[in-house]
Amino acid sequence: MTEKNRRSKKSARGIASIVMIALAVIILAGSVFGFIQQGTQQTRGNMLDMRDQAVVYASSRGLISSIARQARSEKMAEHSKSQSKAQTRTMTTEELRAELDKAEEATRAEAEKLFTISDVPDKAAFREAVDQMSAAVSESTGLRDQEMAVYDDLYKQLVESIPRWQDIVPEKNTGKQEIIDALIKAVPDLGQEENSHLLSVDGFVKMAKDMAEKEKEQEETEQKEHVLQGVAAVVSNWLDFADGEGNPLEDDTIWEKLQANVPDLAEDVIREKLKIADDAAYDQWKKDLVGGVKDCVNATSQGSGLPSWAAPEEEKEETELGEIRILHDYFVNSAELDREEAEQKKAYEALEQHLKVIIPQLDHLEEILPEMIPQLYKVNSRTGELKLDQAKLSEMHEKIRDDLNKNIETILATQGKGFDTEYQMYADNGAKDVVQGSLWQLELASLAKYLLLIGIAVLLMGLMLLFWKPLTARLGVPRTIIILFFCLLCLLAEGYRISVGMMLGNVLERMTMYGILVLAMMPGIQCGIGLNMGMTIGCISGLLGIMVALQYNMTGFEAMAVACGCGIVVALPLGWAYAKLLNRMKGNEMTISTYVGFSFVSLMCIGWMLLPFDNPKIVWLLSGKGLRVTHGLLGSFAHILDNALSFKVLGIKIPTGGLLFLGVCCLLMWVFTRSKTGIAMKAVGSNPRFAEASGISVNRMRTIGTVLSTVIAAVGIVIYSQAFGYAQLYTAPKQLGFIASSAILIGGASVTKAKVSHVLLGVFLFEGVLVFGQQIANSAIAGGGLSEVMRILISNGIILYALTQSGGGRHE
Amino acid sequence: MNNQNKVLAHLQKYIVTYLFVALSVLFIIISGMDMNYVASQLLLRLNRNAFIVLALIIPIIAGMGINFAITIGAMAAQIGLLLTISWGVTGVPGILLAAAITLPLASLFGFLIGKLLNKMKGQETIGSLILGYFANGAYQLLFLFIFGSIIPLSSKVTIVGASGVQNTLNLTGEVGLYKAIDSIASIPFMMALQLFVAVMVTVSMIQYKQKKMPLDRMVTILCGSVAVMAVFQITPVADIFNGNHGWEIKLPLVTWILIIGLCLFNSTIMKTRLGQKFRAVGQSQTVANASGINVNRTRIIAIMISTVLAGWGQIIFMQSDGIGTFQTYAAHEQVGLYAGAAILVGGASIDRATNYHALIGALLFHSLFITAQTAASKIFGDSAVGEYFRAFLSYGVIALALVMYAWRSAKQKKAAQTDLVLAARMAKQ
Repeated sequence: MTEKNRRSKKSARGIASIVMIALAVIILAGSVFGFIQQGTQQTRGNMLDMRDQAVVYASSRGLISSIARQARSEKMAEHSKSQSKAQTRTMTTEELRAELDKAEEATRAEAEKLFTISDVPDKAAFREAVDQMSAAVSESTGLRDQEMAVYDDLYKQLVESIPRWQDIVPEKNTGKQEIIDALIKAVPDLGQEENSHLLSVDGFVKMAKDMAEKEKEQEETEQKEHVLQGVAAVVSNWLDFADGEGNPLEDDTIWEKLQANVPDLAEDVIREKLKIADDAAYDQWKKDLVGGVKDCVNATSQGSGLPSWAAPEEEKEETELGEIRILHDYFVNSAELDREEAEQKKAYEALEQHLKVIIPQLDHLEEILPEMIPQLYKVNSRTGELKLDQAKLSEMHEKIRDDLNKNIETILATQGKGFDTEYQMYADNGAKDVVQGSLWQLELASLAKYLLLIGIAVLLMGLMLLFWKPLTARLGVPRTIIILFFCLLCLLAEGYRISVGMMLGNVLERMTMYGILVLAMMPGIQCGIGLNMGMTIGCISGLLGIMVALQYNMTGFEAMAVACGCGIVVALPLGWAYAKLLNRMKGNEMTISTYVGFSFVSLMCIGWMLLPFDNPKIVWLLSGKGLRVTHGLLGSFAHILDNALSFKVLGIKIPTGGLLFLGVCCLLMWVFTRSKTGIAMKAVGSNPRFAEASGISVNRMRTIGTVLSTVIAAVGIVIYSQAFGYAQLYTAPKQLGFIASSAILIGGASVTKAKVSHVLLGVFLFEGVLVFGQQIANSAIAGGGLSEVMRILISNGIILYALTQSGGGRHE
Repeated sequence: MNNQNKVLAHLQKYIVTYLFVALSVLFIIISGMDMNYVASQLLLRLNRNAFIVLALIIPIIAGMGINFAITIGAMAAQIGLLLTISWGVTGVPGILLAAAITLPLASLFGFLIGKLLNKMKGQETIGSLILGYFANGAYQLLFLFIFGSIIPLSSKVTIVGASGVQNTLNLTGEVGLYKAIDSIASIPFMMALQLFVAVMVTVSMIQYKQKKMPLDRMVTILCGSVAVMAVFQITPVADIFNGNHGWEIKLPLVTWILIIGLCLFNSTIMKTRLGQKFRAVGQSQTVANASGINVNRTRIIAIMISTVLAGWGQIIFMQSDGIGTFQTYAAHEQVGLYAGAAILVGGASIDRATNYHALIGALLFHSLFITAQTAASKIFGDSAVGEYFRAFLSYGVIALALVMYAWRSAKQKKAAQTDLVLAARMAKQ
């Protein structure tokens, strides 16, 4: 029966694979045909015809919708005006929206009736005008993209290298030149001649001012919140501030009670810490605090949730770190770009002359508009007579022309961005009916790229099914699937127009981040304790090292070296004790190491609160003790290794320093596995009984391996924090053991065997799948979360698989 | 000498329990909380959690360690509750509907968990933990991306304008599930105690009459009952439990009938054939296999029962007094941790657990849970420390219990080995 089953399964797989490969061949053939179609004379002619037609259609349709939009906004303006005078009753948002929609639709219908398109009289001249416009557009958008990229890069550098904006702009009226000098000092690239236009009053100078102001505001609210937090931390029962029925007490009574309970609430301490100068501000602050307490009392007595600042630490949502959102508010055109844009405007004006012939209404907009939009008339307050508002009319006219220009620009900007994008754009603008010959050839040509991608994907799946047996024998089922999944993600990324190169750059960065941590799993596996979930012990030692470096305000490589050194010093005895414990628990290591790790993390949560750090930069402000949760390393050693020797290839940043460090560590590890101790350790891991029989001290090897794993983890977390730019304490390291385990398992390790190649491949695949998955999930569906779900599933799934492989069918 | 050894062995076995008793007393004194308040809170938490903790017993007896995958049972229950809220069924029918939905779902999940755990024998504890994490991913996938889009739900529970279920769902008010079981009937604690003692006395008398119980046992029970009644008559104790300090102590009757019912279920199933199979498989899979028991099937049944019970336990938890909201994405996360820690505190270990362990454990664990925050903030002057201290307690107690167990079994193995060596030597001579 089972034999029969297996055979039928095998043949089913064979048939499926052949079907898939055949399908792939058909799809690929279609794609090749499509690519050939893209190059034919007829297609090219058709595309040009479509382009011209699209411009015409877009102009008329764009005009209609532009007018309709104008009508809507006028209606809105009228509404808000009457609202402010309170002449009409207040409308709900839905009612208002319905009214606006009605106005827009009415105008649109009116406009559609009015507009007509006549044939293009002089096709050649028209095409020439479009060609010129197209050339101008491609010049100016190209330049704009280029400058935008430079701007983005500078923006990122500024945000990364300036830890405190108030140092750049100490006062509100700091001189422009001073700010510019400070900025150039922080980011030397800004000093180059071609970037000077960005340092104008509207550009980065404004950005520095805005940032400083925002930062100041944020610091103030943070400090205020922190006082509240300090209060929340001391108060055990909010109902102490309530009367018998759960209503809050009088303000003054609350204040007195607070002062009695909270040690630091003396007036002079508060004034100094919060930098409150005048009495009014102090009273306001006092009122806010009492108000906050009242909120809490009400929340408690009604059983609803506490305000965010008063909720216990664990329930707070973690904010996302490490991503810089680039704002384009401070972009300034260079002189050259200004020139190009003027050129484009000229080209557009030339084109508009042609369009006016084709769409006669374009020439009489001033006459048509008032007919359709009654709001353009204003009432003379004395005579009550309606009069055309000329200023408004010309403003609107200008806006409509602008819209039109932009519409045409978008259509023409697609030229040169790939056949399918162009075709799609023209087709969307209703230009399909000018095609000569059959449409399907064009359709196929536009699909060629996607067909190619789908074809490769199907072919890959078919091949995988065909070679299922040898592949899974070599790689194991989950790894085969993950590799295939990664390939499919790459294809999908190409399909979604996500730059694969850029993604690979991200993957490299993440590899330097996690690489050492994953390497720390290796000695653990080799010495026989299996997946060292207790590597969090090492991670915490490393974090302790970082805190020491921050405590003494160290910066640069010195800080990193001190952090690593202190981390190792702490990790050695801890790792040794941990190894001794595990030596007594043979056979149960993974369960115990997991829980020992968890316990240690939560023990250290208390430790972080009580350890005698006192640098005001790293402890909570008000109480002056207890480390904060997140520490930005920008002023210290963030990205220092990744930026060392880094260079760019095709716009991808290669984190040379980080990669080199990872490489050296891996090499050292490899050398170690070749040494006498390394070989003995491997023997212990793969077959302890045999090792013992051949005279190797099992316990000694296990101790060495565990200590090594702990120490590497300590270094790993320093590197991780360096690449991340933040050091996170408290519960943050809890899951690191799981992440590192799943990465090394994906790379091909098992619970008893691991190699350096498994580490590197594992980190690459794991991070690769996550980075690509995240990007694709973001562009495919709005709203994140899917990539996090994917991480949970992959990471825990692979550990489960490894467990089934290790304990499969074992009795007792 | 022998006696001393026995005491030592007993101490070793229950070291975690005694540690917790000492800590609890210490913390209650340090925190300076009103005993009446502590008692009322404790009872509240016992109502909520006892059922889930009791659900852990059968897999332990069947030799599968602490089933941290009861989290998955809780997830099944939460799916049931979500559908109930979405369909707008309220009150007791709502709870029954949720329980009815939970039954097939949790059985299916339990079956799958059992299948998987059979592939990782000896690693069930860690396996079930990671399985719980894995399931959390699947749960998020279901609640964020499938519910509300592929499976339509009422707009009461979904996020308007996006896919997925709301972060928190209210159980009070119109939804009408809050205290649906608890509020059916409740009696004062003292009355419940008298009732309980009365039942105990009658049952033991009847059993003695039917010659099912030896005389000394019956006398012990009678004396114990009298002693308990006497203690609760002393004024300070009576004050605490009569609620004379301002906190009324009442027992939700139906909830407790369910909890006691589960205790009875746990003890009676052990007397059936299936229960014998659980025990046999738990003691030695090889022997059980040799005596014709289908080991894998028995293990799967144990996990299925545990998962379903945990699901129902989660429903009891969610409806209970003082919860009121359903944290869609977090309510299940700590279920396994707290239940596992509680049963270990009660004196259970990886291969041994009884109803008493579960109930005493829940009582001790939660008494520490209530007082830890205040006590820690009194000691360190910071209540956040108390919060972390709770987490440390939960993880630490599991780690300690696991270490003690592994240490004990390693010692036993060694002793057995030396015995063997000695026997071999004797044989040679």
